[in-house]
Amino acid sequence: MKDLLTPNDYKSPLKPIWCPGCGDYGVLQALYRALSAVGRPPHEIAFISGIGCSSRIPGYATAYGFNTVHGRALPIAQGVKLANPDLLVIVAGGDGDGFSIGGGHVPHAIRRNVDLTYLVMDNQVYGLTKGQLSPTSPRGLKTVTSPMGSLEQPINPLLTVLAYGAGFVAQATPADMPGMTALVEEAIRYPGFSYVNIQSPCITFGEEEQQLKAHKGRMKPLASLGHDPSDQLAALDLARAYGTELYTGVFYRDPSPPPTYDALVRQRQAELQRGERRPRSRVLDDFLKP
Amino acid sequence: MIEDLVVGLAGSGGDGVVSAGESLLAAASSQGFHALMTKSFGSQIRGGESSCRVRLSTRKVLNPGGILDVAVALNWEDFRRFGAELPIGPETVLIHEAKAGPPPPDLAPPQKMPREVISVPLAELAKSAAGTDRAKTTVVLGALSGWFGVPREALERGLQKKFARKGEGLLEANRKALASGISFATEHPLAAPRELAQPAAVSPKMLCDGNEMCAAAAIFSGCEFFGGYPITPSTEVMQILSRELPRYGGVVLQAEDEISGVGATVGASFAGKKSMTATSGPGMSLKTEMLGLASIAELPLVLLNVQRGGPSTGIPTKPEQADLFQAAFSAHGDVLRPVLAPTTVEDTFGVTVEAFNLAERYQTPVVILSDQEIAQRKETVDPIDVSRFEVVERVRPTPEQLAGGYQRFAATPSGVSPLTHPGMEGGNYLAAGIEHDLKGAPTASGAIHAAMNEKRFRKLAPLQERSDLFEGLGPPDAPLALVSWGSSAGVAREAFLLARLRELPVKLLIPTLLYPVAEPVYRAFFASVRAGLVLELSHQGQLYRVLRMFLDLPAGMKSFARSGAQPFRADEVVEQLRSLAEGLR
Repeated sequence: MKDLLTPNDYKSPLKPIWCPGCGDYGVLQALYRALSAVGRPPHEIAFISGIGCSSRIPGYATAYGFNTVHGRALPIAQGVKLANPDLLVIVAGGDGDGFSIGGGHVPHAIRRNVDLTYLVMDNQVYGLTKGQLSPTSPRGLKTVTSPMGSLEQPINPLLTVLAYGAGFVAQATPADMPGMTALVEEAIRYPGFSYVNIQSPCITFGEEEQQLKAHKGRMKPLASLGHDPSDQLAALDLARAYGTELYTGVFYRDPSPPPTYDALVRQRQAELQRGERRPRSRVLDDFLKP
Repeated sequence: MIEDLVVGLAGSGGDGVVSAGESLLAAASSQGFHALMTKSFGSQIRGGESSCRVRLSTRKVLNPGGILDVAVALNWEDFRRFGAELPIGPETVLIHEAKAGPPPPDLAPPQKMPREVISVPLAELAKSAAGTDRAKTTVVLGALSGWFGVPREALERGLQKKFARKGEGLLEANRKALASGISFATEHPLAAPRELAQPAAVSPKMLCDGNEMCAAAAIFSGCEFFGGYPITPSTEVMQILSRELPRYGGVVLQAEDEISGVGATVGASFAGKKSMTATSGPGMSLKTEMLGLASIAELPLVLLNVQRGGPSTGIPTKPEQADLFQAAFSAHGDVLRPVLAPTTVEDTFGVTVEAFNLAERYQTPVVILSDQEIAQRKETVDPIDVSRFEVVERVRPTPEQLAGGYQRFAATPSGVSPLTHPGMEGGNYLAAGIEHDLKGAPTASGAIHAAMNEKRFRKLAPLQERSDLFEGLGPPDAPLALVSWGSSAGVAREAFLLARLRELPVKLLIPTLLYPVAEPVYRAFFASVRAGLVLELSHQGQLYRVLRMFLDLPAGMKSFARSGAQPFRADEVVEQLRSLAEGLR
């Protein structure tokens, strides 16, 4: 029997480029711990991201990583999972990557219910390009591209993914490391598309009330409110408070998860291949007319 | 006796001209003729103008033909909409629905009007024979049988096949309509009778279009993943693979958009599977960023672009060859991406297999530039011996290489580094769109960037020597050249044969490999050349311009190019060659 895997087995030799104090360091630690708890060896994990500060994260894990292009982590990850459903596929990125440039892909990944875990490090600002407005920036926020204050309503990622029909939706903050680790692990173990919105502070461009210290005072575990995570309507109601309340924990967990797309695809392949399998070299036979 | 017959039919959407063309094609094929059919439409989903042209011959058919031998117009308005796609001349037998009245006097410019114009009461004959004027195109088939000797039995077999499932009544009605057309032809013989020579023997043939052939070749090549989004005129590839690929253990994902389609394809390739996407111009524009990712991450991928008229929405239902610049150059950064073009339905098979092989061997995206004509034209194809095609797999690291600390982008003499995929123990690496070192670690070093660019170009250097990806015909020392690609190559082949018959000192070059420009192959070809033509269907003459970018073309090499949906005719190409030959004296 193999030795148990430890968090260090998932740690790559690359040193993160993040600013000291960035929330993403905490996310990385939680991920190492969650992965070792799940116990899949690193070579069976595909870790896919887009572009942004947080999208550098696959490089810092020992899995097969793919740091792709801006906003397209979900399509690429679906291709990976469908090509090899045995892999554990994790997708990570920021709020801009997931809800601005890549926002069109989120509903489709969710409605297909491909078995992916999507971790969004939501910091309400563009960090890599140095402090512009993001799709989750609060209305009125002053940034270099909204010098007189933003005129836009932010998108509500929690409400959005719940409305699209995601089977697992949670929110975490590095201010509560054990809680975040447990949520990431639960998301990975959920059989279907799972989403964790991680309030991961930007130390350089983020607002004061978005920093870890403020999170510690503001966060409210959903469990302590008596929320039943199998109640989808209650989850939707609670999710409306995104931007005003910092709820942590599981908003919604489908009590009877439907079959995943990747499982259904595999099942159909098996049905079609039952019996005689025509060799690829005979593929032209269909066109041949006597 | 004539050995070649080109028939064009035009009507409005519900008239069934395409269906009649298909019956004619199937009948010809079953009789042992070589045959080819192209379809052309307006952009309407239903209704609108609709046309097809069928060419049948006892010899191999090289292209859809030039000026029609027989033109059938169900009404003049729709017939005229096809302009240069259905050209008529003095030798054309022009058959028209009597109700439409005589042909407008300006129907044929710049040609003279056909000498033989026959008014046939098609709807009336159909009504009295079959009880419905919907059988009028079956009357047309009967007339063609009577006048030109298209075998009646073969047409009847075709009707049997087509209507058997729809009930005996409909079948019988169509048989009567066919007979009525034959009687009409017998009672109204042509002033200058033409009888089609019959094939010496019937041999089994395939009957398929370019999109079908491409899908079949993808399966043959071991494709296990297709991600795409519906777009005319490439959609059939996704439809066929949706039905067939799961039987071979593969997956088709109809993505939410073009970007996601190619994205999933990149992902599946990263996961270790041979992967493909298909699209047309507008989709290609959207997929460009993802092709750059596949280039820098060195992941194999095949992209089929079935060219249509552009830019933007352009003419979705008609062919053009104006996406070569895009296929070769649409990228930021220094990118070398192989581009291949089929020239017939038949060679679409080999070209697609080659595309997969290049992709896997060199770990690169490869573009297949087909076009609407090849993709959607149906033609007879002699059985293909697939055993002569090699199928290449990507190079994997040896156990020793894995044990010794795997380097994804290891420096090798060829520039090709062994490639792992998730699931392979010891092969973990970071793939990325960001520049990286030998191990895949991100870097902003100019020196490493230069070395990696050199590697990515070096691995494709062997393509320069691939003279097997060119078709050359004619005397090596000929001073006159004809160069063409894609669907226009079929016209070039016929023009070349006609020019040789007229003893013009011409040779022919048809590249399957369009990009990178294989300079040694062209230099050898152009060594003897003083004048010639590059024939292609685009306003700019894109291959001509790409060649001039890389080669010092002989001063007399000219571009013979025009916008899409106006196919070339062999006779006009021969005329240009003749005039160039005169200039050489």
